[in-house]
Amino acid sequence: MSNYFNTLPLREKLNQLGVCDFMDSSEFLDGVDALKGKKLVIVGCGAQGLNQGLNLRDSGLNIAYALRKEAIEGKRDSWKNATENNFPVGTYEELIPEADLVINLTPDKQHTAVVNAVMPFMKQGSTLLYSHGFNIVEEGLQVRKDITVIMVAPKSPGSEVRAEYVRGFGVPTLIAVHPENDPEGKGLAQAKAYCVGTGGHRAGVLKSSFVAEVKSDLMGEQTILCGLLQTGSILSFDKMVEKGIDAGYASKLVQYGVEVITEALKHGGITAMMDRLSNVAKIKAFEVSEELKTIMRPLFQKHQDDIMSGEFSRIMMEDWAAGDKNLLAWRAATGETAFEKTPAGDVKIGEQEYFDNALLMVAFIRAGVELAFETMVEAGIKPESAYYESLHETPLIANTIARKKLFEMNRVISDTAEYGCYLFDHACKPLLADFMTKVETDLIGKNFNEGKDGSVDNSALISVNEVIRSHEVETIGAELRKAMTAMKSIKTV
Amino acid sequence: MSEPVVNITNLHLRYHHKPVLQDLNWTIKRGENWLLRGASGTGKTSLAKAIAGLIKFDGKIDINFDQQNSLPAVAHYVANWYQFKDLEGQSNFYYQQRYNKQAEETTATVRAELENYGKNHQLDFADAEKLVAALGFSELLNSTLIQLSSGEHKKLQLVEALWFRPQLLIMDQPYNGLDKLSRKHLNSLLEEISEGGTQLILISNDRELPAVINCFAEIRDGQVHVTDAAHIPDFKLETDRPVPEFLREGPVSKTESIVHMNDVNISYGDKQVLKNINWEVKAGEKWLLQGHNGSGKSTLLSLITGDHPQAYANDFSLFGHRRGSGESIWDIKKRMGLISPELQWYFDASATVRDSIISGFFDSSGLFRTPTYTQSTQADELIHYFGLTEYKNTLINQLPLGKQRLAFLARTIIKNPELLILDEPCQGLDQHQAQHFNKLVDELCSNGTTLIYVGHFESQLPACIEKRILLENGEVKSVEPILESI
Repeated sequence: MSNYFNTLPLREKLNQLGVCDFMDSSEFLDGVDALKGKKLVIVGCGAQGLNQGLNLRDSGLNIAYALRKEAIEGKRDSWKNATENNFPVGTYEELIPEADLVINLTPDKQHTAVVNAVMPFMKQGSTLLYSHGFNIVEEGLQVRKDITVIMVAPKSPGSEVRAEYVRGFGVPTLIAVHPENDPEGKGLAQAKAYCVGTGGHRAGVLKSSFVAEVKSDLMGEQTILCGLLQTGSILSFDKMVEKGIDAGYASKLVQYGVEVITEALKHGGITAMMDRLSNVAKIKAFEVSEELKTIMRPLFQKHQDDIMSGEFSRIMMEDWAAGDKNLLAWRAATGETAFEKTPAGDVKIGEQEYFDNALLMVAFIRAGVELAFETMVEAGIKPESAYYESLHETPLIANTIARKKLFEMNRVISDTAEYGCYLFDHACKPLLADFMTKVETDLIGKNFNEGKDGSVDNSALISVNEVIRSHEVETIGAELRKAMTAMKSIKTV
Repeated sequence: MSEPVVNITNLHLRYHHKPVLQDLNWTIKRGENWLLRGASGTGKTSLAKAIAGLIKFDGKIDINFDQQNSLPAVAHYVANWYQFKDLEGQSNFYYQQRYNKQAEETTATVRAELENYGKNHQLDFADAEKLVAALGFSELLNSTLIQLSSGEHKKLQLVEALWFRPQLLIMDQPYNGLDKLSRKHLNSLLEEISEGGTQLILISNDRELPAVINCFAEIRDGQVHVTDAAHIPDFKLETDRPVPEFLREGPVSKTESIVHMNDVNISYGDKQVLKNINWEVKAGEKWLLQGHNGSGKSTLLSLITGDHPQAYANDFSLFGHRRGSGESIWDIKKRMGLISPELQWYFDASATVRDSIISGFFDSSGLFRTPTYTQSTQADELIHYFGLTEYKNTLINQLPLGKQRLAFLARTIIKNPELLILDEPCQGLDQHQAQHFNKLVDELCSNGTTLIYVGHFESQLPACIEKRILLENGEVKSVEPILESI
């Protein structure tokens, strides 16, 4: 197997990277018809597998779970999940030959083994569904030519996929058809029907390609989503403790601050987040974030380059082969950081205080979102895809940090995201070492406005606002947010 | 014995920018146990929270605790419903979550919650166990919070308050969701702690009260009016508006059988919550579903509303179709209107009254779609009918409980469905609102709507009910016709 993307001529690379279409709700009027009466077999019954299956069944579709013999005999969690919810369960041999649609919802690193195991049982003209394109694009797995290969990727954790469905809503979803495997031209209709079955069609659907999904997903999760949030959190916390701020306060300000700050992002983009600061603070945050962008841009570019060339996948797969040696060591190290070990203090922090006392965090987030977005777009990824994988997902990850801090955040995200997150974090911290020596508590830990009279120069403020508001992530974001009808508010602590 | 314990002078209080209490004066003396009544929205809850120091107000509230008394010198407020968080500190629940096996472990067990409460308030766990037993709650100690029914949540909340035994205990609608026997048990427990030195303020429009209640008052026009025991509060009678035209048409049922259950069983692990249920509801029938707290009523209803995953493993039909034969839960929900305490608690907190009502067209717990012009105008008619016009753009969870209920009732009936499932619809309503609503149910059902109604309070049922199914420990205990008014 070789990297699929690297086998393509440049023209075709750009073609596939550029597939990006925010779908109109009228495209989903056929509902689940394309899958009605068909046999859907889900391989794997973890959080995504179970919750997507519950939704699909509640949408009137026929669902069963294929598990490995050992999982069934050992009555593992996947077996319990499926049987306790009264789903039929069987081995690959028993269920796959009957299936019209085989849904692979196992972890990335099992994909090659799983797909190679099920493919011989799949009937002529059936369909294989992924929720992430890594196996096809990075590992270059070849699927039998009679089989249709599609992707439906809900952009939320499994429990949310279920919760939003039963509320009558859904989560934003990305769909794609693999151009090498659409022999009957039915891939898109089936992907749309599946999307309706999980409720995704109500919350905004982006038609993408396997290539665009993988290259943008990897970039987003490594840099802004997990990597920078981790680096920013640790540096901010350590700085506060170094400067004598109470550790419990510092821990709480960072842990919940990322969520409160990015909540503004969710509703109104970078503009809304920056507008939560006073005028003086906003100008300062702008300057700091510009500086951060200059320092970190080469690192963002390196990550994007390594993702495009397949270098990232290559070294990660080496680690898979080594039994996750690096991953496990890095994960353990995250659990040992001072931020992780300091529980949030029993202090009340008001909603506005999370902005006023954490100007540095706001600057980190602006810099990270804009850099990730700019770097992706420069690499040929369309702005809509880049928006989803940067700004859109930032509040979701921030929410996980607020609930569980970094160690657990890294456990919740995929191993692939986690691996990339550590790579970024390890390279980013030394890069910022000089910058951080200049940071004082007015930027993190204390109210920046304190002792200032709040006056600003009109023209300076206007030009700062202009730069923030006219950034492409803002214009595309405003459009996409309008399309994703309802935005739910996350509770602040 | 008669020095004032609570002395309130010139209290002014606003609720979401509207004046609620004005120039209120009230004195509570030692030995007095009060019942506070009044129509919905008169400020009962606000007054209680002000006394407990939970909200800001203008004026003066002096509380003189008894320094000799060993009970905690606290005015403790027990809210009208039980709020809890999951283990990650979030309370972003959905009402179907208790039927989701995998969501169980996201909340604490009842035992862990009680242990934690006891630790925070330095209480002896053995005392809690006695209260738990007295309220018939023992077998739920190992259940998790999300699994409990509304009545069971109420019991947990009561256990905590009775265990804590503050000098002054203020309880807001303590009988909500409790079955008849539990109400009786609660009254004896309240009598017991009252004799032990706790003074009570109960906010309730119920009639069965603990014998120790010796003072009565009504809140009206922003002030406390002392009354006698028999006084019935002045529930403002709103002009009787006609039912909107679009609700007067009878729904068309295409099938004779609405619900048909054959030996339905539901269990969680070893615990069986429904056993061999056989039940048929025919089109146009009006049923009352009863049973003590925890008898399986909500679970039974969740099968009918498409909210229970185990529906697929049972033999039953809805609207003439075997469940699991290709229909979606939205196909099912389209044909019914549902209200339940859980639906209300776990509803989208960012929805306005109007959005919430319109969401009834889509059966969603919040409004996620753009309504048509007709849907919007019908919502406005219904808002007017329920007297909610001035609140229509208010967030629904900021309304007083009774008004919130009315809005949810409007949501339930707005699409004039074939089947109405009303699970304790009058919980939190004052007597006038309950009568008004039940009259409306009678009127809607006279056009052939099928009704399944859950209610503990015999005095608050619609007249149209003709049959009753009684559950006990998950089994059908009896099915019987109901003759003229019970």
